[in-house]
Amino acid sequence: MKNFITLVLSLAISLASVAQPKLPPVDKSPLDISYYPDNYPVLKIQDKMTEPLVARVIYSRPQKNDRKIFGELIEYGKLWRLGANEATEVEFYLPVKINNTKIKKGRYSLYAIPNNDKWTIILNKENDTWGSFRYDAKKDVLRMDVPVQMQSTIAESFSLLFEKAGSGFMLNALWDNVKISLPISL
Amino acid sequence: MLSNLLRITASIVFVFSLGFCTPKTEEKVSAPFADSLKIAPTNQYVNADQSPMDISYYPVDFPQQKLAGGLKAERPIARVIYSRPHKKGRTIFSNNEKSLCPYGKPWRLGANEATEIEFFMPVVIDGKNVAAGRYILYCIPYADKWVIALNSNIDSWGLSIDNSKDILRTEIPVQKQSPALEDFTLVFVEASYGADMIIAWDKIKTVLPLVFTQ
Repeated sequence: MKNFITLVLSLAISLASVAQPKLPPVDKSPLDISYYPDNYPVLKIQDKMTEPLVARVIYSRPQKNDRKIFGELIEYGKLWRLGANEATEVEFYLPVKINNTKIKKGRYSLYAIPNNDKWTIILNKENDTWGSFRYDAKKDVLRMDVPVQMQSTIAESFSLLFEKAGSGFMLNALWDNVKISLPISL
Repeated sequence: MLSNLLRITASIVFVFSLGFCTPKTEEKVSAPFADSLKIAPTNQYVNADQSPMDISYYPVDFPQQKLAGGLKAERPIARVIYSRPHKKGRTIFSNNEKSLCPYGKPWRLGANEATEIEFFMPVVIDGKNVAAGRYILYCIPYADKWVIALNSNIDSWGLSIDNSKDILRTEIPVQKQSPALEDFTLVFVEASYGADMIIAWDKIKTVLPLVFTQ
C-alpha cells in the first residue's frame, strides 16, 4: 500500500511537471517599445520610410495610480531605471552624438537620477540586467543633465518616445506632471 | 480509477502551480499596485497597448539571475520580445476564417510589432544552423501541427509578412493544454540539448526545440 501511494504520488508529480511549466503572468508594468523614426515598423510595411531606423527603446510602463511620483515614489537624487522590471534598453542602429559625446551603435542600458529641477541621464554599457541594482558607474558611457519641464497635463503611464528636433531628435521621458528631453544628434 | 486519480492529482498540482506563479518582482516602484493590469484609457503621449509587450530570456530570468550574481555569462543565449494578446472569450485557433488565428494563415505570434527573437550565439533548429543575430518569428497554425518560420525582415509590423525573407521553416506538433490560457505566452525552459521555446495560448501549446552546440 505504501509503495502504491509512493508510486501514485511520484507519477502525479512527474506528470504534473511534464504537463506544464510555470507560465509567466502578464506584467503589471507592461513592456513597450518606441522607435525613431516614430512608428518605424508600421512605416516599413507601408513602404513609407523616409529615413533609416536610428533608435529604439524597450522599457516597462508603471502607472501613476494616484500617487505622487517624483520626490516621493521616485526619490530625488537616487538612481532610477527609467521604467520597471528589466533595465530600460536603448539601441542605436547608427552612431549618434549626445552632449558632444560620440555614441557607437549598439545596445545600452538607460538610467536617470531625477531631481526637482533637472535629471541626470545615464547611458551604461551593462545590458540584459534587472533594474538599477547592479548599476556600475565604471560602465557609464555618458552622463548628461537635462532640465525638468513641468506639464499641465498628467501622464498616467510612464512614457518614453522619440521626437524629431532640428537635424536630430529627442528622447522624451514623461510621467505624472514631469517631462524631460534628451537631445540626440546624428 | 488509477488514471482518473492521476489526472485529478496532476490537474490539482497544475492549478496550484499556476495559482502560485509569483509575479515578476517589481520592488518599490510597483509594490502598491493592484494585481490586475490597469491600463489608462488615454495617454496624450503614447497609449499603453491593449496587448502589452513582454520579454522572455534564456537562461530563464537572465536579468534577475545576473542581478543575483549567480551568472558567469555576461550575455544571455536567447531572448524573445513579443506582445501578449488576451483570449477574452474569443475563438483563437480553428478552421473558421473568423477566428483570431485561422488554420493555414500566417500569424505573427503575438500582436503589434512582429515578434522578435535574438540569439546571442549560433543555435541549431531542426538540424539547421542558425547564426547569432536577430530574427522575426511567425507561425502558420493548423489543427495538428504548426509551421514555425524564422525571417530576416526585422523591425517590421507583424501584419505584413514577407515570406521571401524566411531563413528557416520547421514543423512542430500541436499539443493540448488545460485549462485554457488567457494571455498568449512565449517562454523558454531548459532542455537536455539546450532549451525549448514554449508557445502557449488558449488550449494549445507547441514547443520549438533549440539545440545549443557551444
